[in-house]
Amino acid sequence: MSYQITENCIGCTLCAKNCPTGAISGQLKERHAVDAGLCVDCGVCGKICPKGAVLDARGKTTVKVPKDQWKKPVIDPVLCAGCSVCVENCPKDCLEIEGPKFHGDIHTIARFVKGREKDCIGCGICGDVCPIEAIHF
Amino acid sequence: MATSYGGYMGKVADIDLTTGTIREYPWSDEERRLFLGGKTMAAKIIGDHLAEIRGPLDETNLLVISTGPFTGTGAPSSSRFNVSAISPLTGILTSSNCGGNFGYYLKKAGYDALVIHGRSEKPVWLEIHNDQFTFHDGQSLWGMKTGHTQEALDEALAEQSGGKRRKNGKIVIGPAGENLVKYASIVSNERLAGRGGVGAVMGSKNLKAVTVSGNHTVPVHDKEKMDKLNRSWFKYLRSHPLTGDQLPRLGTAGLISSMQMKGQLSTKNYTYGQFDRFEKVNGETLAEEHNIVNKGCLTCPIKCARTVQVDGKAVKGPELETLGLLGGGILNDSMELILRWNYELDELGMDTITAANTLAWAMEANEKGLWNNGLAFGDTADISRVWEDTAYRRGIGDELAEGSRALSEKYGGKEFAIHSKGMELAAYEPRRAVGLGLGYAISNRGGCHLNGGYLVILEGLGLNVNQQTPHGKPDVTIIFQDLMEGTSSCGQCVFTTYGFFPPPLIHHPHAWYTKAFNAIVPVAGPVLRLLTMFPQVVCFHLPMIFNQSKALKYATGMKVTFGSFLKAGKRGYTLERLINTRLGISRKDDSLPKRLTDVPQVEGDEKTKVPLESMKDVYYRGRGWDKDGIPTEKTLKKLNLDHLAVSQMPAGSCMQEVNQHG
Repeated sequence: MSYQITENCIGCTLCAKNCPTGAISGQLKERHAVDAGLCVDCGVCGKICPKGAVLDARGKTTVKVPKDQWKKPVIDPVLCAGCSVCVENCPKDCLEIEGPKFHGDIHTIARFVKGREKDCIGCGICGDVCPIEAIHF
Repeated sequence: MATSYGGYMGKVADIDLTTGTIREYPWSDEERRLFLGGKTMAAKIIGDHLAEIRGPLDETNLLVISTGPFTGTGAPSSSRFNVSAISPLTGILTSSNCGGNFGYYLKKAGYDALVIHGRSEKPVWLEIHNDQFTFHDGQSLWGMKTGHTQEALDEALAEQSGGKRRKNGKIVIGPAGENLVKYASIVSNERLAGRGGVGAVMGSKNLKAVTVSGNHTVPVHDKEKMDKLNRSWFKYLRSHPLTGDQLPRLGTAGLISSMQMKGQLSTKNYTYGQFDRFEKVNGETLAEEHNIVNKGCLTCPIKCARTVQVDGKAVKGPELETLGLLGGGILNDSMELILRWNYELDELGMDTITAANTLAWAMEANEKGLWNNGLAFGDTADISRVWEDTAYRRGIGDELAEGSRALSEKYGGKEFAIHSKGMELAAYEPRRAVGLGLGYAISNRGGCHLNGGYLVILEGLGLNVNQQTPHGKPDVTIIFQDLMEGTSSCGQCVFTTYGFFPPPLIHHPHAWYTKAFNAIVPVAGPVLRLLTMFPQVVCFHLPMIFNQSKALKYATGMKVTFGSFLKAGKRGYTLERLINTRLGISRKDDSLPKRLTDVPQVEGDEKTKVPLESMKDVYYRGRGWDKDGIPTEKTLKKLNLDHLAVSQMPAGSCMQEVNQHG
């Protein structure tokens, strides 16, 4: 089940502008729609919608969360094995596997791409897909 | 056909390129339980259609791309996918395993496997996004090398998504696949399904590329237990001396120095087992002077891949086999050249192992006056041109594109054409690792070290079991083959099976327990045979050293123990043999070139050759095959394969056709 937009939508286009996968479409001042085939359940539409017009994947109405309260991932440097699953699944491409800290470094781990921490939407997907729970919020 | 098991998406796509129609391929839960996924699943599908296949490059050949139940579940090193087909190089069943991220994204698209058949009239590429299958004109991509093709595909997908990059997995072929080079590969990111010519099969179907994307998640039967297991499994692999130190530090190339010490490094087309300038082309030099950063496939904590620079561009570094065969194999000591050739072969989409062995054979044939081709050992000036000529089938390249078996049949020199069943051997010299010699000879896809059981890990590269004794080796080979077959069928990298060796054995090679282990293996044959004959007696899971059986249980919900996992591997291996049997393979084909079986590596030391025939007898007995290497009906019944008994399989004329036109 993907996210859905209800009839309360006023067509402000905020969600469409912020959707990282381009799953939301619609005209200004008209009800928008989510393409279920592209939606990755990141939830940014729900967190940003001023009218509470978004239902999450379980059908619950979402609540607007101010941007400064979006939770950011913290990567455990000891647990992380640098397996790239979080990097591959981050819808905003905020994560990367760091370069070696010294020549021959074999313990490279995931981290924020420099300068892209602010782009993180706090969707939690990286934490969900991490096979060893090395990412917390 | 939905499934009640976790770990699977429950759908297999049947793609007919001739008509452009997509159907769902029927694949039942019973088949999932028996054949798991990956190469075993592919073997079953190809086996079921064997009678219809008229030849490897005929439109009737099937190209089966399959994942396993671990893919996408978070199990370590599990993003792999398998490509199987009837091989244009060998004429028998081939399976080629690849890392990267294609397998992961195939499951995200909602499919466990793709069964591709038919032939498109014009070059096409196929886009799969969830349930949408779209054929695109591939004319503009045709002729492109693999790197450019993948960039062009990314651009094309982004264009459709309104400029936003769509994350995807892709497989492509290069010019070698288009021009039907018998050992053309399929490329996914920087990884390759390299062996057996699966790229040529894709090229024969006019299919340039496939992209997969989607937003499905893989269901896991018992997620809580699976996550807990994954945590300890990752930790174990990262602390193991092979998967946590040697492979990340030196890559697979780290074994070159050990092979040199043990006389196992193929040199001058397997004439010798040591290369006097090996230190210029070994893993240490690669790591110290050329490696920029370790890279790994998606989901992998081991990260054995290297990244090096060629012409200022960061590209994938060579694996052990490439280094060994393009180094000592042709008497070349330039690491820079090997890095360049490795990159060029990947860009053209060709298997480095077969390409290097065929080149070495051609050099020796020229030296011996059998084929005047201008190639000579140590003369490395023009090799890049040779690769290009091979991929585009120009001049001598057109002949090199056929592989060493075909060339030796034409020009003579069979005794030094280093292949088994038409597939060339990896860089390990089997005369100083006779167990691997057996493995190479009986391997289902031809001269493959992994499919052959990889006994060299016991014979000097991890442990120090007597390299020359044939005793006990056939039985260990069977167990290793079955474990790797099962692991591979689950969609996992076989390097995770290195964990099977408890760390103290590797850490302390001179400790009493390691010496005792080394001494026991050659005399443990009869006990091990009991295990291979009655695997079900091990009705529990092995702690930590082999997590696969437990993970399969948690991921899918199947009733699995170590014994039943071993049995599933045995079923897969036997099924592949059965298909090959149907294609005409028997004892006579489980062979090695005379150089390896009749000529001692060390002059005067008769032990330094592979005593193949005696090991084959023991091996066949252990497998439950008859003296001619054909699985008996009793064995098939035990493995629930009785309905596929040779007498009941559809009569296929494939092999004759393969031999004539392949």
